[in-house]
Amino acid sequence: MANALELELKHLIIDTLELEDVTPDDIDRDEPLFVEGLGLDSIDALELGLALQKTYGIKLEADSEESRRHFNNLKSLAALVEARRVT
Amino acid sequence: MPVALTTPENKMLGTKRLMNTASLTLEDWRAWQPGRSPTDDPRLSTDERPSGASVPAMLRRRLNDTGRAVCDMLATLDPNAECVLLHASRHGDAERTLDMLYALHEEGALSPARFGMSVHNAVLGVHSIASGNRRSLQAIAASGAEVSALFSEALGYLMDGEKHVVMVFSDAPIPARFADHTPGPSTMTAVVLRLSLTSPSRSSKTLIAQSASATMLEHCRPPQPDDVIAWLLDEAPLVCPLRRRTWRLSS
Repeated sequence: MANALELELKHLIIDTLELEDVTPDDIDRDEPLFVEGLGLDSIDALELGLALQKTYGIKLEADSEESRRHFNNLKSLAALVEARRVT
Repeated sequence: MPVALTTPENKMLGTKRLMNTASLTLEDWRAWQPGRSPTDDPRLSTDERPSGASVPAMLRRRLNDTGRAVCDMLATLDPNAECVLLHASRHGDAERTLDMLYALHEEGALSPARFGMSVHNAVLGVHSIASGNRRSLQAIAASGAEVSALFSEALGYLMDGEKHVVMVFSDAPIPARFADHTPGPSTMTAVVLRLSLTSPSRSSKTLIAQSASATMLEHCRPPQPDDVIAWLLDEAPLVCPLRRRTWRLSS
């Protein structure tokens, strides 16, 4: 079920990554964010990592298996923010 | 003692002589200068917001207006993405570079996407991904002698066997903080030329390099992209004060 945090993250993704012609409705919570699905790339991953740090105070290891799991889709990203946010 | 005619020194002298006498042929060009009075020439665009339609949306989002205009002009002049590409810009994306320095000072963290796009070859890089061009891509900054450097580099590649070379010259206004210290264009401007060594046809022109006279050098500034556009439209001569060169287009 979509919630306020997921909607907030959708806006964060669209604004931070300057996605043209993408609306929150276009981002499916279960679809992959990277390569397939939304089609983000490795620079987007770094950019998103920085945005999570700035917005929620969450620091991630750049190339860890755990970070990959968090970035899998919107649902996993929301779970990460829920569990680790400090701001 | 007889001297062999094919010593490396003689060969080099021969190549140098050939390079000095070889003339470039201007096959075609495109230019983008928002804010300029429109002309009848369809090769000049004055669109305020170039579409960047040649680049897929997921790549296009990282390009500013100059990048979008350049990629579209490259797609027009090199539709099969097979040419060696040269890109000169005196200052590059100085606004973005300065923004990053401010961010570094104030927040201590740099945007990876902005950093990636601030490097001098960024636009050609995005174009090469979008178009599949895997030829040489060269970025040049020449402290005001960009036009001369571009023609020299193009001639080098053509003498080396390339059939065509496409050169880009673009620049953007200097950030306000530096504007009093160095001249720069008042708007983002870009011009793209396709060059070869083939004999000129009805649609192409020969580019003749000459020494600039003292009168020509008197009041001229290092050429910027809009000076190249004025020259292409036959409105003004093109002079490089640093190299004391001028170029003439002959049908």
